[in-house]
Amino acid sequence: MDLKKKWKWVLGISIVTIIMSLLGNKIVYAVEEAAETVAPAAEKTLGISPIAFFFLFLIACILIGIVAVLAGVGGGVVFTPIMMGFTPIDSFVIRATGLFVAMAGALVAAKPFLRKGIANIRILFYGAVPYAVCAVIGALLAGYVKATMGIKGEALVRGGLGIIVIGISMLFIFAGKKIEYPEVGEVDSFTERLGLAMAYWEDSLGRVVNYQVKNAHIAAILFCGVGLISGLFGLGAGWAMVPVFNLVMMAPLKVAATCSKVMIGIGDTAAVWPYIMGGGILPIFAVPCMIGLIVGTLIGAAIMIKIKAGFVRWLIIAIMLFSGIRLLMKAVELWKAASAVVS
Amino acid sequence: MQEKPKAPLAGIVYGEIVYWITLIGMIVAVIGAAIYLFGGPQYAKSSCVLSLLWEGEDVHEIWEKCAGHAIHGHWYLKKLGSGDGLGMLGIAFSCIAAVVGVWVSAFTMLKEKEKILYPFLAFIVAVILTLSALGIISLKH
Repeated sequence: MDLKKKWKWVLGISIVTIIMSLLGNKIVYAVEEAAETVAPAAEKTLGISPIAFFFLFLIACILIGIVAVLAGVGGGVVFTPIMMGFTPIDSFVIRATGLFVAMAGALVAAKPFLRKGIANIRILFYGAVPYAVCAVIGALLAGYVKATMGIKGEALVRGGLGIIVIGISMLFIFAGKKIEYPEVGEVDSFTERLGLAMAYWEDSLGRVVNYQVKNAHIAAILFCGVGLISGLFGLGAGWAMVPVFNLVMMAPLKVAATCSKVMIGIGDTAAVWPYIMGGGILPIFAVPCMIGLIVGTLIGAAIMIKIKAGFVRWLIIAIMLFSGIRLLMKAVELWKAASAVVS
Repeated sequence: MQEKPKAPLAGIVYGEIVYWITLIGMIVAVIGAAIYLFGGPQYAKSSCVLSLLWEGEDVHEIWEKCAGHAIHGHWYLKKLGSGDGLGMLGIAFSCIAAVVGVWVSAFTMLKEKEKILYPFLAFIVAVILTLSALGIISLKH
């Protein structure tokens, strides 16, 4: 799509997003008010039973999973902003659950990539060290913010996530360029000494793909940043990891996508445990979200073969922008509320 | 005709281990959630948890009000008789998959005589994951 056409989409989506954001607040308040009227004071779960609540989240997460796969992103990156933007649930619980569902999906998906040798085990462990360390630091930082900053901390987390989510949607619009087999050129001495290069069998070409990688030192720094964001905000990290592997290290796209999936499983495991230890995972919320996202991903993958899903990419961009704006608005509300309490 | 390169054994072993452990954990978590929802024993009352969750209550408040006290660490190991305890065990089991997988993968690399750097990196990752899973790296507040 040329730049002019892209701008038309961006403008259209921005207008719809702003209108939806303004209306969205009213809708959420109306739902909350309705729940308060219908349900007795002690049980205000949208005025419905725990079983219905379970299935409501199951269906919502199946839909998130389907749309995410059709748009070519992981469910984990869509789950956290939507849940934080459109439900009143404590952000600590949502972030813990977001990390858990991203991790579980990645762990289940890893097997075929490693069996076929497409995911490069050397790159994986090289990248997993900075990613896991910084993901844990991010998770600890999340706990620190929660424990010491109260509502202002919550406002900062939501605001920060809002900015990141808007940034990710811009990345989807403007930096969609991915290279199937990047031209590596000259390999730097550091990467060469690491010996990260490997080979895999490419079915579509019917031959072995021998590839080189470079810029391992830059990639390590970038993995730190991605890990920190993932651990702090409970986001899946495929959106950032694939470009690092593909455009910075110059690994083939298939290797980049599979390595990213496997590494999320490792790094998010490190980050999810501090949340579990802090009581952030509630089985009643985590289980339907986990099943829903995995089932949704499977359904989405089956649908993807049959339909042309170009428009879904724009739908997910709109959803992400909408969630980002909602998060920023919530952050401002919380900040004002906290300031009012202090004064 | 080119020969297909063999996938590294360390990767295959890791993939198999994490797949099966995560899957078993998920099944246990679903069974636990079913017990929790359909009238089985509950550590924290489900209606209380959900109502406070939807009110946007802080997670520590939720545990204090619904289970009687704030929790920290592997609380579910002492509450396996309850639906939520069993569900949480399943979730924790899924989360332990990569810890076991990376340890086994690291030893496999050593056995396979892979360049020493990679087993070393794998051991570093394994130690980080283990410290995290044991609660040595945790949020105490």
